[in-house]
Amino acid sequence: MTGYILRRLLSVMVTFFVVSVIIFLMMHSIPGGPFDGGDMPVPEAVRQKLNAQYGLDQPLYVQYGRYMWGVLQFDFGVPFQSPGETVLELLGRAWVPSLVLGGLGVLIGVPLGILLGMAAALKRNSWIDYLASTVATLGLTIPVFVTSMLLILVFSVWLGWLPSSGWGEPERWILPIAAYATIPMATYARYMRSAMLDTLNKPFVTVLRAKGLSERQIVFQHVMRNSSIPLVTVFLPMFIGTATGSIFVEAMFRVPGLGSYFVSSIRTRDYPLEMALMLMLTVMFCLAYLISDILYAWLNPRIRHGGKQE
Amino acid sequence: MKDTQAQPIVEIEDLRVTFPQAEGSVRAVRGVSLALHPGESLGVVGESGSGKSVSWMAVMRLLRAPPAEVEAGRLRLAGIEVMQARREELTELRGRAAAMIFQDPMTAFDPVFTIGHQIIETIRAHRATSKRAARAEALDLLERVEIRNAEAILDSYPHQLSGGMLQRAMIAMALSCRPQVLIADEPTTALDVTVQAQILQLIKDLQDEMGMGLVMITHDLGVVAETVDRVVVMYGGKVMEEAPVVELFEDPRHPYTRALMVSIPGQEGGRRRLTEIPGASPDPSDPPEGCPFHPRCTQADAQCAAEEPPMAVLGPGRRAACWRLT
Ligand SMILES: Nc1ncnc2c1ncn2[C@@H]1O[C@H](COP(=O)(O)OP(=O)(O)OP(=O)(O)O)[C@@H](O)[C@H]1O
Ligand SMILES: [Mg+2]
Repeated sequence: MTGYILRRLLSVMVTFFVVSVIIFLMMHSIPGGPFDGGDMPVPEAVRQKLNAQYGLDQPLYVQYGRYMWGVLQFDFGVPFQSPGETVLELLGRAWVPSLVLGGLGVLIGVPLGILLGMAAALKRNSWIDYLASTVATLGLTIPVFVTSMLLILVFSVWLGWLPSSGWGEPERWILPIAAYATIPMATYARYMRSAMLDTLNKPFVTVLRAKGLSERQIVFQHVMRNSSIPLVTVFLPMFIGTATGSIFVEAMFRVPGLGSYFVSSIRTRDYPLEMALMLMLTVMFCLAYLISDILYAWLNPRIRHGGKQE
Repeated sequence: MKDTQAQPIVEIEDLRVTFPQAEGSVRAVRGVSLALHPGESLGVVGESGSGKSVSWMAVMRLLRAPPAEVEAGRLRLAGIEVMQARREELTELRGRAAAMIFQDPMTAFDPVFTIGHQIIETIRAHRATSKRAARAEALDLLERVEIRNAEAILDSYPHQLSGGMLQRAMIAMALSCRPQVLIADEPTTALDVTVQAQILQLIKDLQDEMGMGLVMITHDLGVVAETVDRVVVMYGGKVMEEAPVVELFEDPRHPYTRALMVSIPGQEGGRRRLTEIPGASPDPSDPPEGCPFHPRCTQADAQCAAEEPPMAVLGPGRRAACWRLT
């Protein structure tokens, strides 16, 4: 198992470098630069001076080399849009709202979805089953920005119960958390339901009943454990869904988090910030992969002991 | 061990099981009656689809309803009417009054728990014992079903063991609460031929040793000949004939039973398995009028096609349902 994890970590590093090259090239192949000036035209001489100052007049491979050399020393440069701090300082500050809102959204959405899916599977064709199906379908088909818009419309505009945007007092958190929670909740409601129905139909469940185990013991010890194995495979898509969803959620609710900086860094050609965000996302996705694979192996004795991957 | 004076452990009277379906209901069991006394061994024989498994699943209340619709004049396990039993009563009866082992040992265990865990939880579901004591018991049980490295098997996961080994473990698990009757539903069908005989012998030995009742469900008359005292022959969801095992082989009275015997190839060597009787088994969603066997019966006449033959008592422990009894 340890060797396996080490091998996987090595592959994370390889992925990291490959992705960094691709992103770097793509980022610079988009026309325009950081100092083109948007609304305010910048004199040509000033622009060239700025470009030279940030090394943007060098060939790409030199720029890439310098950048990665910095990265190896944890120096991610200075964001163009906020030159008073380093990229790391900016990220350190932008992390907080994203982590709090996204994290709470996942922490609330996943258990809710699991409970809903369980109830649906155990009470098939009851109202709760229909509710779960509806939540799952709507949650997975309606884009997050529409959900966010609906939440703002209903709770801020019509009912006037909650503020629609910003970051600060906890009541401002409620709507974005609700928006964040929809994807994990819908995903888990749907997969938990089908995983449980699948497990309940397995022959070993009949054997457990024939042994005289109580229905509660069968569901909570055996069926849950077996059903959670496929759920682990859903973790990654759910994580990616939430991470990309944050771009929309933070834009809609004007939260100064990673998602909103992601958008602004692309728009303003803020290369250092864009690079750092992309690389961070890459590492996060790789780790999410690793975690879900490890969880899967840990829950499934066939892999844990057999040592073979399916 | 037979004790006909005592109250039967299993009493089935006019059991009917139907699975409603869009294209006409499947009538899997159509009026089965029988009884099993303490310590007795009963063989239940019949072709595939004759309702053997469904009948005994109904006794254990293991059929999911819906879809299954179960009706019975009487359905008792250890004197308790299971059709009216509460959930807790049922969980108490299962595993203790009657335990069941199934055809495919490879799918019978929960893949994510060890064999030991699954035996221990069975013991602890019925008796308040410490984990340690239950583990010692489980170890003992595995040794009783002739598993040599029992300690290692206890900590193995199901996928690490062979079919024969798993079937032994399933038997150990079924015996863990000293059931009054063991219902074995084709316990050897999924196993290698070489292992089949060992498992049957094991079941037989354990039955003698523990003095429990045994129901051996099979479509193999050879299995029945070796393991039980009394046989019930089923066809189309009904009992065709019932007889002590020796009498059944020496003097089969029902044409279906005779056809079954003829279809056993070579009594001595090789596999003695029911093979082709000319014609197809009845469609369970549209069973024939009269005797269910009449379309394939060489002795059938107009009466067989029109009227259902009554169950005739032919002697002590002998009965058959046929218009043309010889
Ligand atoms: N859940 C179900 N839904 C619909 N029909 C069923 C169901 N379970 C069993 N049946 C039908 O009931 C009939 C009797 O089935 P049963 O399993 O009792 O046969 P069997 O005698 O045990 O045969 P086998 O030797 O194949 O195990 C069959 O026609 C089968 O298709
Ligand atoms: Mg069967």
